[in-house]
Amino acid sequence: MSLEALSPFELEVARLLVETLHLEDIKPEDIAPEEPLFNEGLGLDSIDALELALAISKNYGFQMRSDEQQNQRVFASLRALSAHIAEHRVH
Amino acid sequence: MPAKLPLLSSDAADSPIAYWRDHMISRAAFLRDAVHIARQLPAARFILNLCEDRYQFLAAFAAVGINYQTNLLPSSRATLHLRQLAEDYPDSQAIADSDIERWLASKIVDNAALPVPELPADHLMAIAFTSGSTGRAKPNLKRWGELVSGAQQARQRFGFNTGLTVVATVPPQHMYGLETSIMAPLLSGVCIHANRPFFPEDVRAALADTPPLRILVTTPVHLRACVEAQLIWPEIAFLISATAPLSPALAAQAEQVFNAPVLEIYGCTEAGSIASRRVQENDHWLLYDGFHLDGDHLSGAHLPEPVPLGDIIEIYDKDRFRLLGRREDLINLAGKRSSLAYLNHQINQIEGVIEGVFVLPDETATRTQRLAAVVVAPDLDERQLLTALAERLDPVFLPRPLIRVAQLPRNETGKMTREALLALITGASSCTKIRHDE
Repeated sequence: MSLEALSPFELEVARLLVETLHLEDIKPEDIAPEEPLFNEGLGLDSIDALELALAISKNYGFQMRSDEQQNQRVFASLRALSAHIAEHRVH
Repeated sequence: MPAKLPLLSSDAADSPIAYWRDHMISRAAFLRDAVHIARQLPAARFILNLCEDRYQFLAAFAAVGINYQTNLLPSSRATLHLRQLAEDYPDSQAIADSDIERWLASKIVDNAALPVPELPADHLMAIAFTSGSTGRAKPNLKRWGELVSGAQQARQRFGFNTGLTVVATVPPQHMYGLETSIMAPLLSGVCIHANRPFFPEDVRAALADTPPLRILVTTPVHLRACVEAQLIWPEIAFLISATAPLSPALAAQAEQVFNAPVLEIYGCTEAGSIASRRVQENDHWLLYDGFHLDGDHLSGAHLPEPVPLGDIIEIYDKDRFRLLGRREDLINLAGKRSSLAYLNHQINQIEGVIEGVFVLPDETATRTQRLAAVVVAPDLDERQLLTALAERLDPVFLPRPLIRVAQLPRNETGKMTREALLALITGASSCTKIRHDE
């Protein structure tokens, strides 16, 4: 469990993660902001990444793109993902 | 079958073979790259081809053949699988994109027209791996003549020809990807896009990079993501999907969104592609020419011996069959194949696991199918278990949920039923809540 508080927007993205990926046993506020989302960490995989990209396009109006290096950085943690969404969101 | 078969078909000499880093690569330039890479390859009998860039994989794949070496094609990037391959094939060396890049950078630019190499039909061109039931990957031997014959069957069925560009979301190391994005450009004159697009927007951009006619080679998981992404798609000649049957509803949606026919391939790693269909027209599968079915065994064409199919089928006539369902043990998720026996073996190998079992819940219309696992491991927490599993398995096989219990649900005869396991999984949320409060 994280001792570090999430920002309001990070909490919003955490809720989207939990809802989209049906992570029933995880509370959004319990996701550690710097914890890796894939493999170890939350244990997300490529199917999740696709589902997440879809939810992000519906909620924030932009399409995720993978540019090799950048992709790993964007999905590195909840904090990195939230920052990426904040930077690219259209609505 | 002739003793030797050319690396490239002769009737496509003037058409490009790949779109790589914003350029079209001619077949002559490709041949120079492949011959140059062949000279740099490590002197080992087997080359573990880990290239992800599709053009670099293609050039390395060809180079390995030119040297009469053998490509090892791993079924996943899981650490344990790669370690076991290194153990099972001591005379092997791994190569990756960075090696090919370095070697190609050292190449002296020239325009020499090299002769097309011919490879012996019985040359062991590649070994493709599938997960076996005993915990070690099972090798599937692919001789050059068999791969060429498969490519010719696919060419005949789909009309692969010059002027078509393949954009593929599947890796070249898997048989489906190997046939559609590596053997097709070598033997039928199609051009490939070197990228492996992942997100729908990547797929759209890759399609837009190349002129029509375009073919999208993908899987049901990616197709669903693309259909739901609400993008404006470039013109596509047709789409191919494989690894799991498409539902008629998704196929219909995809045909509408892409304004193109959606074709499906049925196959397995042992035999390669064996049949195709367009589910909008028919739910039965039409065998490729030269194959025949006897019960659930496939033979004919290039197969050295009959291959048992992983599915339960119903035969209509000599060319047509219907899939009735997957044999219980086989798992196919997001194009990755495994078996419950293999997964169960792996979870039970973890230190601290007393007993563990995987189960595949039924598919629902709204969610992609995921595995679940029930495990007895009093001294390990969920994180430790997942970390240990992640070393052994491809991420798509990691269980969700992973449920820790005091003992597995066995009936009075000691058997564990699927129903009892599914009941545990449905009640998972409450179990984990108890754990959080501990």
